[in-house]
Amino acid sequence: MSDRRQAAAMLAPYAAGLALLVFAPAAATVALAFTEWDAISPPRWVGLANLRELWGHEPFHKALTNSLVFAAVAVPARLALALGLALLLHRPGRRVGLARTVALLPTAVPEVAYGLLWLWLFNPLAGPVNRALTVGGGNGLTAWGALPPQWLTMPTPARAAIIIMSVFTVGELFVLLLAARRVLPAEVYELAAVEGAGRWQVFRRVTLPLVAPVLGLLALRDTVLSFQVSFTPALVVTDGGPPQGATTYLSLFVYRTGFEYLRHGFAAAATVVVLLLTAAAVAAQWWLLGRYRSRYVP
Amino acid sequence: MERHTTRGPAATRRAVAPVRRRRRPPPDIRRHAITAVLLAFGPPLLLLLSASLRPPGLPPPAAPPLLPTHVTLAAYAEALGIGGLGRAALNSLAVCLVAVPVSVLVAAWAGFATTRLPRRAAQGVVLLSLTALMVPATALLVPRFALYRALHLTDTLVPLMAPALIATSPLYPLVYYVAFRAVPADLYETARLAGFGPWRTWWRVAMPLVRPVTVALATFTFVLTWSNFLDPLLYVYDRDHFTLPVALRSLSTLDPTDFPVFLAGAVLATLPALLVFAAAQWYMRGRTGSSEGTVT
Repeated sequence: MSDRRQAAAMLAPYAAGLALLVFAPAAATVALAFTEWDAISPPRWVGLANLRELWGHEPFHKALTNSLVFAAVAVPARLALALGLALLLHRPGRRVGLARTVALLPTAVPEVAYGLLWLWLFNPLAGPVNRALTVGGGNGLTAWGALPPQWLTMPTPARAAIIIMSVFTVGELFVLLLAARRVLPAEVYELAAVEGAGRWQVFRRVTLPLVAPVLGLLALRDTVLSFQVSFTPALVVTDGGPPQGATTYLSLFVYRTGFEYLRHGFAAAATVVVLLLTAAAVAAQWWLLGRYRSRYVP
Repeated sequence: MERHTTRGPAATRRAVAPVRRRRRPPPDIRRHAITAVLLAFGPPLLLLLSASLRPPGLPPPAAPPLLPTHVTLAAYAEALGIGGLGRAALNSLAVCLVAVPVSVLVAAWAGFATTRLPRRAAQGVVLLSLTALMVPATALLVPRFALYRALHLTDTLVPLMAPALIATSPLYPLVYYVAFRAVPADLYETARLAGFGPWRTWWRVAMPLVRPVTVALATFTFVLTWSNFLDPLLYVYDRDHFTLPVALRSLSTLDPTDFPVFLAGAVLATLPALLVFAAAQWYMRGRTGSSEGTVT
């Protein structure tokens, strides 16, 4: 085999995988969005009917809002926490190694197991979270006399619970930001010290601009992922409720519409909306990143 | 000392003193922050372990003491017995044994082949991989389902191994691509002069140099494959073919109030992932230790 042929052969499995398992299915989904299909009889062309129905479909609106709110809160919170951890733990010191390992642990737990853990932690009566919150108070009230959050039985606490769960699994972001911080040149920090910069100024004028490209890319990736990571907790922990649909995110909505109600065409139309949203989010963040770069990096 | 001569002596005199004082946060704040990290991230998993050691049938008392008074493995026996977690663990293991090596191979081949492509084509591969990363998982479910059904692969373990063909995540071939590009060009040149084709260069020259990358990616691939929940949920219906995450989920729906039993199952599902993480970390630590030793 010639060199070129050998290289092509090495690329072939991946190229075939991408075509067969990603691009062809994605194209098929876009096509399915214009059909009505129950996975038994052949798909029937319905044109824009699915998209028109989505426009006025209450559960879809709810799922869309839930997903957007989740992304708007969870992504910045996860990035801020991961960055904080990376800056705190990038230098060796007492208990730093232990803290790094402990911060990584929740990320290693399989999603379902992790969901079941929080299902118990958040149990309003028997769960440790509310037991901790009611320490010092009587009659199941907190020390300041309020009712503790009814985590998995009220809409807002249930949504908060899903976000809290997601904040603990930042291991990947943490590791990548740790690596990004460790390659920053020490000279820049010495220079900042010479200039007499305070800690906040060093962070804002030195560290943040230097890690911004990495942070920007991670923000992109996390936004895309945020449309998916909410699936397992919503299914395992809150079952999409309570009440009806309070924690049904787009991923769970698509799954239920397609695989439980067998409306694959309608589910595909909802997926196309997710695709467009993802593309818009990516474009917006790309643009912001470009502007930020042009301001700070000559 | 050498660094002093590269800059003006006046500048260094000013620089040296304040550096230590200003750059580092006061040790107290830092120490407290580290304690806070330990206190925030540690308890969930400790509670998981302690709750799984309680007798089944009772909800675990939530208040301290953290350690159960009657430590028992009964919940584990029940999880393995009723939940069929043993069988499920074997299925998960079978999937991982096939999917993880294949996935890492696909990623390494693709990454290496990309370094051999003309610039334009390499950019094309990178762009396609990034695009694939952006495609939401829900966009792929239904057509993949139709594909597997047409090939009579539903209710087998094959759909769970199939993501190995895209290297589990299209990010991983890109990681290999970056790593292989960082290998000094004269090493590749030497290999070419020795008459090595791409295949042998990849195996004999490139792979040994990026072993930490391989270890890291194999770890991530294992954890992702081991925890995969959505695929078996959609493509596997027969209990005999359940993998650990699906079996765990069905165990928890069996009796949602019997916390010790499904938390014991959660511990069982978590242990292999933690072991693989620990092994990888141990490998990395040994490696960085030795390389530092040889360099300095």
